[in-house]
Amino acid sequence: MKAKKCAVFAVITLVAFLLFSVTPLFAQSAAPKTIKIGASIALTGSFAAGGNDVANGYKVALKHINDEGGIMVKEFNRKIPIELVIYDDESDPSKTVTRLEKLNGDKVVAYLGEFGSDMNIAGLAIAEKNKIPWVGVTISVENAFNQGFKYTFAPNMFSYMEVAAFYNALDSIPKDQRPKKIANFELQVDWGKECSKYLNQYAKERGYTVAVEQKYAPDTKDFSSLILAAKSAGCDAAFSVPTPPQSMALIKQMKELDYAPKATCFIRGPDLSNYWDVMGKDANYIMCAGEWTADMPYPGNKKLVADYKAMFPNRLLGMPVGNGYSAFQVLADAIAKAPKLDRESIRQALTTVDVMTVKGRVTFDKRGIGNVPWVLAQWQNGKMEIVTAPDFKPAPVLLAPPWTKR
Amino acid sequence: MITRAKIISVVLLLGLGAVPLASGNEYVLNMCCMLFLYITLSQSWNILGGYAGQVNVGQAAFFGVGALATRLLWTAGVPLYVSIGAGGLASVLLAVIIGLPALRLKGHYFAIGTLAVAWIARITVGNVLPGISFLPTRQMATYSLVPRYYIFFAVMMGALLTIYFVVNSRTGLGMEATRDDEDAAQTAGVDIFKYKVIAFLISSFFAGLAGACFGYFHASYYWHLPFSLMWCFEPILIVFIGGVGTFAGPIAGSVCYVLLKEAFALTLGEMNVLIFGIVFILTILFFPKGIIGLPSTLREFFRKGRRPTLAAGAADDR
Repeated sequence: MKAKKCAVFAVITLVAFLLFSVTPLFAQSAAPKTIKIGASIALTGSFAAGGNDVANGYKVALKHINDEGGIMVKEFNRKIPIELVIYDDESDPSKTVTRLEKLNGDKVVAYLGEFGSDMNIAGLAIAEKNKIPWVGVTISVENAFNQGFKYTFAPNMFSYMEVAAFYNALDSIPKDQRPKKIANFELQVDWGKECSKYLNQYAKERGYTVAVEQKYAPDTKDFSSLILAAKSAGCDAAFSVPTPPQSMALIKQMKELDYAPKATCFIRGPDLSNYWDVMGKDANYIMCAGEWTADMPYPGNKKLVADYKAMFPNRLLGMPVGNGYSAFQVLADAIAKAPKLDRESIRQALTTVDVMTVKGRVTFDKRGIGNVPWVLAQWQNGKMEIVTAPDFKPAPVLLAPPWTKR
Repeated sequence: MITRAKIISVVLLLGLGAVPLASGNEYVLNMCCMLFLYITLSQSWNILGGYAGQVNVGQAAFFGVGALATRLLWTAGVPLYVSIGAGGLASVLLAVIIGLPALRLKGHYFAIGTLAVAWIARITVGNVLPGISFLPTRQMATYSLVPRYYIFFAVMMGALLTIYFVVNSRTGLGMEATRDDEDAAQTAGVDIFKYKVIAFLISSFFAGLAGACFGYFHASYYWHLPFSLMWCFEPILIVFIGGVGTFAGPIAGSVCYVLLKEAFALTLGEMNVLIFGIVFILTILFFPKGIIGLPSTLREFFRKGRRPTLAAGAADDR
């Protein structure tokens, strides 16, 4: 009797053991219900305006992909919808780290970047630590991609591209009207220093002069000394990468001090959707990064714009929307090309991405920096027009008249 | 005397010490590190602001100096524990140079003076070191949250034990006398400047150690980040939530702040900051003694059958 009980117990144990061992095999071959992608984004705090634009760009891309059934995943030979998990990091880099760790625990296959250098810098290092591919959105600091990281990718313009695009814009102006003396207002951050380096380097190569170099801190609110130095040196072009509030303060103070260079390029700030609402016609003639606008003739743009307006009727359409959408397209392309739905396969697929997005063709160099169109935009009569572009005919650069004639 | 509270505390601490062994979840370890950081930082503020009555609104300067010193030394190859200790001492040095003269100021002027120190520190570091601090490749390759967890834990325990023994000693009495009425204390022969200095030095040391932990924890950040003014205001917020001038207040406040904020952020989306702000305002209005004072406030409410008194009146109850 005892032996019979033992035998029954042994059989049950053996069956249970076999089930436990075999079940994972079955589980591994079953496709997941969704492909989980995560992002920590500043939905509140000082970077919320751009953060929400990025998040909304992701949501439109998500809708478009899932409306088609999802991404065709090679490993399972079927389309799987994407699940996008977004956590608010309150514009605090320490919280960015925490949220990304949470997403790691949520088993996301990839991270998407966000709006704001402070948070992106914190985020890309965590991506590298966790060995999760990270596709950035609004990061322009070349130094961040000189660290030998393997998991970080950024399909957008970097410092040397932005400066080169600025010189391309100046080169497009007829020679007899072309500004030649540049005032460089250097923001005291990595990105500002990089831009200064390339501004001086390319000036020598392309026949321009950086006549004035003035530095300012990220908290600076009074730019009068910079502006007066540029004015007294007779600079007819100005370049900087101010924070958005600073870009507005700079223009207002330039107007107050009656300094009106023919060409003003503030890479950041005027690219936000509400710039014209805040600045009015003072925003006219200001150039900025033109990575994406609603009028770009790349495939998918019209659908993006139409659906964005339908999904977010009360929100303006800012540049981070298109940047976010494009980053999502890049990641989706990599997932579709990856032989397996795992982090390492997706990372490797990202290294060889070659995809047309809503802001042009994207590939990556060995550092993960995007090879993207170098594009500059300019506010012209309330509309942001592309004034330099490699793939289509841009609008001409308009030279700014004196303030009294605007 | 062995009390139930002490037994519970010891069991809790042993449990916390075993978390990395029991759970390899990086998110859990990260959250615990943040919790320990805020407990250390808020305790450091509380000994000066809550016990000695000197409202320091420039804690970020000491936190940031600690982070800066540790990061520079450690990434240059100095052993970790030396670097972390140096972070604490660097903050003490800053306190001696700038903070001690500031202690000659009273009331609001001291608060403004310390805020000015924080602003100056932030702008100076932002101008001198405008770039990003990345961990060297070899340290990135071996990055692990487990040693960081234990460092944060050890620093927190050091802060808790030091502050516990100080506030329960004659020094603590001297601090409280200074806080309650400087003139009366001075008349009674209490050397109020001495107690302010002791509180300030202990406060700056542990703020510096908290900053040192920050410098060790982050894989990459802008150099100016630990000097951000949020590091001035968050410890004050936490102490008021938990209970000013109490030992357990910063602990309770940190737990509430870290865990509640996290829960709100993960579930409420963009509304999380607004909701948390409302909760904070309601706490200050109706529970001015903080979470620690909640039982006595509720007891009084139910006993007397009326609403708890607002912050201005209840300050006298302490």
